[in-house]
Amino acid sequence: MALAQVESLTFSYANTTQDVLHDVNLSVEAGQFVLLIGQSGCGKTTLLRHLKSALTPYGTRSGVVRFDGRALADVPLAEQARRVGFVLQNPDNQIVTDKVWHELAFGLESLGVPTPVIRRRVAEMASFFGIGEWYHRDVDTLSGGQKQLLNLAAVMTMQPDLLVLDEPTAQLDPIAAVDFLAATKRINDELGTTVLVTEHRLETAFPLSDRVVVMSAGRVVADATPHTVGAVLARHADPMVTALPAAARLALALDGVDNSSAPVSIREGRTYLRQKLAENPDSASVTSVPDLRYERGLGSHAGTSTDKTSVSTGIITANDVWFRYERNGDDVLRGVDLEIRAGEFACVVGGNGSGKTTTLGVLSGLHKPYRGKVRILGLDPVKAKGMELFRAGLSVVPQDPQTLFMRNTIGDDLDDAASRQYTDRDERREAVERAAATAEITSLLSRHPYDVSGGEQQRAALAMALLTNPKLLLLDEPTKGMDAFFKASLAEVLQKLVDSGMTILMVSHDVEFAAAYTSRCLLFFDGGVVAEGTPREFFAGNSFYTTAANRLGRGLVPGAVTVTDLVDYYRALSAESV
Amino acid sequence: MRDADAFSSLHPAVLFGYFVLIVGVNVVFMHPLVLGISFLGALAYAAYLVRWAGLRKLLPGLLIMMVIAALFNPIFNHRGVTMLFYWNDNPITLEAIIYGGVAALMIGSVLLWFVSYNKVMTSDKFLCVFGHVVPALSLIFAMVLRFVPRYFAQAKRIAAAQRGIGRDVASGSWYARARHGSAVLSIMLTWALENAVDTSDSMLARGYGLPGRTAYTDFKVRERDFMAALALGGSGLVVVVAIVAGVLHAEYFPAYAVGDWSVAAWLALGAWMLICAAPLLLGLREEAVWRSLRSNL
Repeated sequence: MALAQVESLTFSYANTTQDVLHDVNLSVEAGQFVLLIGQSGCGKTTLLRHLKSALTPYGTRSGVVRFDGRALADVPLAEQARRVGFVLQNPDNQIVTDKVWHELAFGLESLGVPTPVIRRRVAEMASFFGIGEWYHRDVDTLSGGQKQLLNLAAVMTMQPDLLVLDEPTAQLDPIAAVDFLAATKRINDELGTTVLVTEHRLETAFPLSDRVVVMSAGRVVADATPHTVGAVLARHADPMVTALPAAARLALALDGVDNSSAPVSIREGRTYLRQKLAENPDSASVTSVPDLRYERGLGSHAGTSTDKTSVSTGIITANDVWFRYERNGDDVLRGVDLEIRAGEFACVVGGNGSGKTTTLGVLSGLHKPYRGKVRILGLDPVKAKGMELFRAGLSVVPQDPQTLFMRNTIGDDLDDAASRQYTDRDERREAVERAAATAEITSLLSRHPYDVSGGEQQRAALAMALLTNPKLLLLDEPTKGMDAFFKASLAEVLQKLVDSGMTILMVSHDVEFAAAYTSRCLLFFDGGVVAEGTPREFFAGNSFYTTAANRLGRGLVPGAVTVTDLVDYYRALSAESV
Repeated sequence: MRDADAFSSLHPAVLFGYFVLIVGVNVVFMHPLVLGISFLGALAYAAYLVRWAGLRKLLPGLLIMMVIAALFNPIFNHRGVTMLFYWNDNPITLEAIIYGGVAALMIGSVLLWFVSYNKVMTSDKFLCVFGHVVPALSLIFAMVLRFVPRYFAQAKRIAAAQRGIGRDVASGSWYARARHGSAVLSIMLTWALENAVDTSDSMLARGYGLPGRTAYTDFKVRERDFMAALALGGSGLVVVVAIVAGVLHAEYFPAYAVGDWSVAAWLALGAWMLICAAPLLLGLREEAVWRSLRSNL
């Protein structure tokens, strides 16, 4: 018998007629690790929220949700609180109290568990998750990854049978995300807890899952193992195919939909690729295979590093910049040297705490370096008075778009943002429409900024920044929490801006995005730039901090950065040997 | 988090009781010797906890307050039989001067005890004490402590983000700055309200609102806490009884008179001295133990 069962569930939110869920059937067996995927807005979250009465949204519904054999409505709330654990997307918003230990105890307090039992359960969970070291800390002092792990542990103290996670890693950096998902897998493996998780990080989540359920426009369109779901999607020509892990996409491209066990992890993918290459008996003697390292510049749009000499001055230059937040603190920037030329789409990548975001702060004059020189748009941000820098054409899109929204509609917010540049009302309306069209949010202008998805909020923030008529755009983690489709469309928007003459510098953890769309990448480590180059040079030169496709092909396909590179190489090889 | 010293590691209930007793006696009972002992004890313990560097910042303010208290009383209070001189046609009496001095001691020692209180009674200890009395209040308190720093951090982020699109709170005309400042507030408000929905979901998902909520504290009652409560409570009882029974008493008006010095009075003063010195003694004793352990290694 299934632990949780959704039977022909149809649901629409109050005051709307459109079904968010349409005849959804899903059955989760005890002990399974189920991955639920689909484009943003496909109804994943709405479906998950139906698994707990306390979170079920208001609206019209038909169909039944069963938990442990009973209709969910008949399961007492206390039992639901205990047996169904929920972790939501935003790590900060979920934490209620100020101390780690208190947060761990919160659920058990609600259930009225006596102190000695709470002490024991909290101790067990803190040990299981390795929280012991920060057990007495204030939650303020934790990193995002630690906060989300705390949220997970705070749910696990109640010893739930079913753990429901709604995009738990969307706000985390890649390393924290991998750690978090590994922790959920450990819970599944070692405690036997059933896990149902929605994720956009399929590269990591696929290998962990027993089952992948795909939703599209409120329906379940595929329900298969990670190894076969790619073929199912490809047969339906579902757009989710493009979001699959690199190994699965490679297998689909080479074998079509017939492969009954496509690789999903890098390890499986490398084994698979080795076999495929070995099928060509004399592959080693092939000479006319393109050496990808020096051909086909992916980022051919703007200044590659070879024409460094042709452009004399950069729109941003930083020479030996040192910065620390506090006089007695550690240096955050330790001699940053960088140059960004006009018309580039440059991306700074690097781990947490490497100084990426701080660099943006220094460039925009928010932080004052204590040593070194910065020139930006011909000005010195340390000496620039007031808003001089911004009048000269600088605009910064913050990491969290919610720091910009103040009005009841996105349109009003855009209008506000335009009020400085455009005093004439008609001109202003035109400018707003233009910016909205560029950022592809024209259809959202009458919506409340908090009612649209994270990806849409990011684009609204971009539109606000555009209304200041910038020449240079700084972006901080623009792809945070976005699914593959939003990323692709954001890339298109940014490319259009670059084509129209704008310079873009973004800071990101998103290696895949940087590889696929930017014209130059800079790797930050320990407060400085340690490597740079066009995405192709850059990622082909890295071995670990690189794209999944590069890791797949390392040592097998020289210089491949994208799955297309791998496929092209293989095809060229096959053609040669025929 | 590490406790500030040996005394701080006692159970919060004991600590809270201690501070209630000591501040209570200080405020209610104006006895020059009692207050003098209390002042010295408070000064020594505060110096031990925050060191000279911490105390140096506090002392000027403290002294000013004490001087004001000592001066204002004789200027505005003209009771007392021993008139010393006239100042602006007002009689200045010896009794009022003494009373002012004692009041200054009282203010000084209460403030110094609060310096220690802040170091010793961290928010979670306070919560532990009140969690048992009013569980709902203790949760609200914990949430406030969580959200206040969070809101400040967010306000900072908002101001930085606003600056990034050319609206700086710190520059421009007076009017522009006020407008940008209010924008930050308004953004903050929207953000807080919208994100509180997540928090409430997270609380509901973990069973908040079910009947019979308990209040968990991370503190255990140990034998040491019983001993301390017994010793401090016993001494406190001696002092309070001595005060109520009039064994220890002080009068200022019309004439200054401090009670007879019976054996009982000295006993009560000794008990009071023990109370005031207890935190420091506990701390010093533990440090001595550490030193001896280290030298035996």
